[in-house]
Amino acid sequence: MVVAEVPKLASAAEYFFKRGVEGKQFRPTILLLMATALNVRVPEALAAESADTLPSELRVRQRGIAEITEMIHVASLLHDDVLDDADTRRGVGSLNFVMGNKISVLAGDFLLSRACVALAALKNTEVVSLLATVVEHLVTGETMQMTSTTDQRHSMDYYMQKTYYKTASLISNSCKAIALLAGQSAEVAMLAYEYGKNLGLAFQLIDDVLDFTGTSASLGKGSLSDISHGIITAPILFAMEEFPQLRTVVNQLEKDPTNVDIALEYLGKSKGIQRTRELAIEHANLAAAAIGSLPETDDEDVKRSRRALIDLTHRVISRNK
Amino acid sequence: MLFTRGVCRISSKFLRNRSFSQTLLASHRLSIIIPEHGHSSPDTHKGYVCRGTTYSFSSPVFGGFRHHHLYHQSSSVVEEELDPFSLVADELSLLSNKLRAMVVAEVPKLASAAEYFFKRGVEGKQFRPTILLLMATALNVRVPEALAAESADIISSELRVRQRGIAEITEMIHVASLLHDDVLDDADTRRGVGSLNFVMGNKISVLAGDFLLSRACVALAALKNTEVVSLLATVVEHLVTGETMQMTSTTDQRHSMDYYMQKTYYKTASLISNSCKAVALLAGQSAEVAMLAFEYGKNLGLAFQLIDDVLDFTGTSASLGKGSLSDIRHGIITAPILFAMEEFPQLRNVVRQLEKDPTNVDIALEYLGKSNGIQRTRELAMEHANLAAAAIGSLPETDDEDVKRSRRALIDLTHRVITRNK
Repeated sequence: MVVAEVPKLASAAEYFFKRGVEGKQFRPTILLLMATALNVRVPEALAAESADTLPSELRVRQRGIAEITEMIHVASLLHDDVLDDADTRRGVGSLNFVMGNKISVLAGDFLLSRACVALAALKNTEVVSLLATVVEHLVTGETMQMTSTTDQRHSMDYYMQKTYYKTASLISNSCKAIALLAGQSAEVAMLAYEYGKNLGLAFQLIDDVLDFTGTSASLGKGSLSDISHGIITAPILFAMEEFPQLRTVVNQLEKDPTNVDIALEYLGKSKGIQRTRELAIEHANLAAAAIGSLPETDDEDVKRSRRALIDLTHRVISRNK
Repeated sequence: MLFTRGVCRISSKFLRNRSFSQTLLASHRLSIIIPEHGHSSPDTHKGYVCRGTTYSFSSPVFGGFRHHHLYHQSSSVVEEELDPFSLVADELSLLSNKLRAMVVAEVPKLASAAEYFFKRGVEGKQFRPTILLLMATALNVRVPEALAAESADIISSELRVRQRGIAEITEMIHVASLLHDDVLDDADTRRGVGSLNFVMGNKISVLAGDFLLSRACVALAALKNTEVVSLLATVVEHLVTGETMQMTSTTDQRHSMDYYMQKTYYKTASLISNSCKAVALLAGQSAEVAMLAFEYGKNLGLAFQLIDDVLDFTGTSASLGKGSLSDIRHGIITAPILFAMEEFPQLRNVVRQLEKDPTNVDIALEYLGKSNGIQRTRELAMEHANLAAAAIGSLPETDDEDVKRSRRALIDLTHRVITRNK
């Protein structure tokens, strides 16, 4: 889908879809599982032959959502790397590092436009609306991060809102889109949305923890990249509630690198890591509960997918990298 | 018949030995004759070929001209000078206000970034919205079924709001591409003020461009017409492809007129052509009419860009070298140079060295002056302008005065595109 007329644009756009560099493909996995989890055959559609063809057309369209979502995601990565002057991404040189900022901006735009064309081809304007909103949220989230005031940066509410925009909105709205394509009711669509949203939030919160703890349970073994870039995440925000003096340290983070160590000390003394994990678990449970509230089914495939989705809510918490 | 009289006048004028550029500056009003009777069979526009320099109308109506430069003495059709922009001025300011409202964002910095080019005084000539609003009126031929008194008005105004939506979306896409282009070009100024990236940094410009694009997508979705969504999404893709073609072309490609016209279509004409088509589709017009709207936009866009290329050399005077020369200084080879290269193959080497040695610019200009490059570009522009006007002429007949006036304005635009000198 990302083959382009202009060769350089093609290699730029393909960059993150090449074998080995596609990432964990977390989002497409969720969406494909959700698609199966929601394929509850409604009585009207049980007419023998048509029931077989209908699901596969539907399946193609639902797969389309997964493709579109991945294109939007990669487009945002390309632009983010330009914005962050990043050198590496997914273990290889970032595109902007390898080919320059210009072609990265263009490739991001190109992927976005291909996503829009693919969206239009689904002929469902509510779905188009949902995913267009996602792009808007991605931008808003990134801007919130870039331009926040000190007060905003110290606010847990602001942080959760930004995290929703940057991470959870894509998953939640694409899950909802899957449900809408399947002709499900508004209630079921909302459950799919809640699953995606809570899973996304849980994912990001654990991500924040891992940035500090890395592959061991102790503090400071992680990459510390957030805090080194002056990005204040949930653990620090919680610690700041216990130790107000941490605020001043955090304000000076970029001016003096030794402040990172001071901040880590405070974090170790606080319950910041633990409270973040607890919040992540709350969201993971909400996600699992959303699946549990889906309409009952006897279909084995459907049941298996739902179990898999619930299993994901555990993996999101227990992962250590 | 008015038409045949016009034809005779044309032949005699044609035989006089005048160059095209001199003709343009003459005081005659140029317009395509809109035949009053028995014209618009779908065959009329089969003769249009958008390549090379040979154009011929296969329809008997036009009598198979080689150069379809049709003259027409100022007729009684218009009483005063028709200004297309003033026809839609009120609606345009409505549009600007709506645009400003649409780019309001939750995050203040993003809002000021996005609004940057919609502020009063900086909105640009609003060329594209003008065309689209005029096209909307030009196509609002009331179909018999819709003539039930009250509902026709309501339908029309709902339709109008949607068509205005196309104009808003188009402007957002256009500004988004400007924002990204300025980042890509490290530009300092745009529309006479500091470019956004210069004022606020590349990052926020990239983001603001993305933001506008996403707002455009949301607005598109709200129109609930997936063909329109598809059309305008394709435009974004074309904008990107055109920009990339410019950035990454090989030497052979850069010396090719075909490649240049394709790139120009992507970068400039696609937005106008596809949004004109979208306006037609929203109005429920047939595929043929939609295609005529598309052809108008496409040819107008191409004519616009070709004259733009000329003006970069000639600026506000007719002589060479008074223009800003920004294209050639950036190593961007446009139509006049491409034509000159056909006459003087040695110009190719000069052009290859443009960026290495600035004095090559002067050498290139010399060759250009000796060649017919400027003239041939103008001629090509006029061919496209005429094609655009002809597309309007082929629209289904109407008695509605507003519709007729808008069509005349659209045709007038095809002249202004050629005669402008800045």
